Amino acid sequence: MKFGLFYEHQIPRPRDQEQWDPDAEHQMMKNALDQIELADQLGFDYVFEVEHHFLEEYSHSSAPEVFLAAASQRTKNIRLGHGIVLMPPRYNHPARVAERIATLDLVSDGRVEFGTGESGSEMEMGGFGVQREDKKQMWEEATREVVKMMTETPYPGMEGAYFGMPSRNVVPKPLQKPHPPLWVASSRRETTMVGARLGMGSLGFAFETPTEAEERAEEYYRLVREECYPIGKAINPALGVVSVLSCFDSDEEAIEKGMEGAQFFAYSLAYFYNPFTGGNHAPGKKNIYKQFADAPEDQRWGPFGDAFRGFGGFGGGGSGDEPKDEVTRALWRAAQRGGCIGSPDFIKDTLRQYEASHLDLMIFVAQCGARKHDDVMDSIYRTGTKVIPEFKERHAEHQKWRARQLEGVEHLVNSTI
Amino acid sequence: MASKVDRIQDESLRTALQDAQTALRTGDYKKVVELASGAYVELLRRKPELLQGQAQFMSVMFFPRLGAHLVVNTNGVPEIVWDREKFIFSEAITYYEYTVDNLIKNKL
Repeated sequence: MKFGLFYEHQIPRPRDQEQWDPDAEHQMMKNALDQIELADQLGFDYVFEVEHHFLEEYSHSSAPEVFLAAASQRTKNIRLGHGIVLMPPRYNHPARVAERIATLDLVSDGRVEFGTGESGSEMEMGGFGVQREDKKQMWEEATREVVKMMTETPYPGMEGAYFGMPSRNVVPKPLQKPHPPLWVASSRRETTMVGARLGMGSLGFAFETPTEAEERAEEYYRLVREECYPIGKAINPALGVVSVLSCFDSDEEAIEKGMEGAQFFAYSLAYFYNPFTGGNHAPGKKNIYKQFADAPEDQRWGPFGDAFRGFGGFGGGGSGDEPKDEVTRALWRAAQRGGCIGSPDFIKDTLRQYEASHLDLMIFVAQCGARKHDDVMDSIYRTGTKVIPEFKERHAEHQKWRARQLEGVEHLVNSTI
Repeated sequence: MASKVDRIQDESLRTALQDAQTALRTGDYKKVVELASGAYVELLRRKPELLQGQAQFMSVMFFPRLGAHLVVNTNGVPEIVWDREKFIFSEAITYYEYTVDNLIKNKL
């Protein structure tokens, strides 16, 4: 199993102020670059940066190509992932996507992972005039064309349902040939299987019990072997999931320093992706963090409580009953949502379950909510030194398993797993 | 390795989804969406508890809305509303996978 970091660039509003401090966004960006530089030095394999628009507090990452370009100049080895680029042409013209991906690949010496997606929030779709029922068509059409732009000289042009342009030679071309590895955001379970059939890696939130997760991995790789019609010129078979991270010496410290941030992540995600709350958001005025902080403890995982989980999780280690002890109960709740919150030993136990389920990539949300930069740095450092090494030692075994899954596959494979 | 669709226990639903699988391979994406959506409505008909209280919200909200969507009419009966006639590969897969997963999850 490999490891990455995941950035939304969260900045909760101060609970008792209408707006952020003037330097808050600037400082958050600089802090995130420091964190990624540290992760690179510690041997983290990937960093994935989202693209979102207008989702204030939840995500201030609207220009990931700029941020990743900055990260590329402060790091040496870490892979630079778009997690993801919004592909409907109303967000990003396909030619501009191809140009930016290629340029980032060139300035980073070939370290780009090209994640693609559609978006799903009312704030974003409404802001750019994207219709929900059309967004997957837009995604598929645009992704096919961007791949052609990166690989064909000249790009022959096309007139599609949502995008059209005449023949042009789209330059520059990416350093990685035929193109950087392709991923698709899979916040819905079934999109993972779309990815398998199109030869794309899956970047997911939801994960289930170990048994279900293993079944999903087996089904994904079966589809790659038997029913894959690649959208690109090469396939990237890979399963990655996102989990919140707070790694400290003791479980109690990890909860104290990391639980609220994890809860805010889930709460604000559910807020914007619920069409009733997100669709009626008051731009520039609503203080989501205040609403979150004022909410009773049992409602802090989101407006729908247990019915709307940002993270699937492992079902609390198989136990159906909440533990009564406060610390154990907090861990149980975090684990229910797939969270990696605890001591290095606790987190390694959780990760071994993912590893046994043949997960290729675990992507940690270390920066979220109102977590302090120093705590995020500590958590990344502890994870890099006390958690990841054990799994790196066993990664060769996982690669052998993957090789067996891909036996007989005739498509060109370009994957960094 | 057996396909996931083979784990559907009910013969008529399994056959419908196997037909959808064949349609997916032959590029008849509209047919895939029709078969999968029909099977999902049948699931709701057989499991009325999925249309009670908050479960109804989940059953309707999480059904794909990619050119065909689910509504519960004033008589409490679920039905599919077609927004368009043409579908593409990834949309068809989404309806197919969603339905197969839910049939298996609900032990049909």
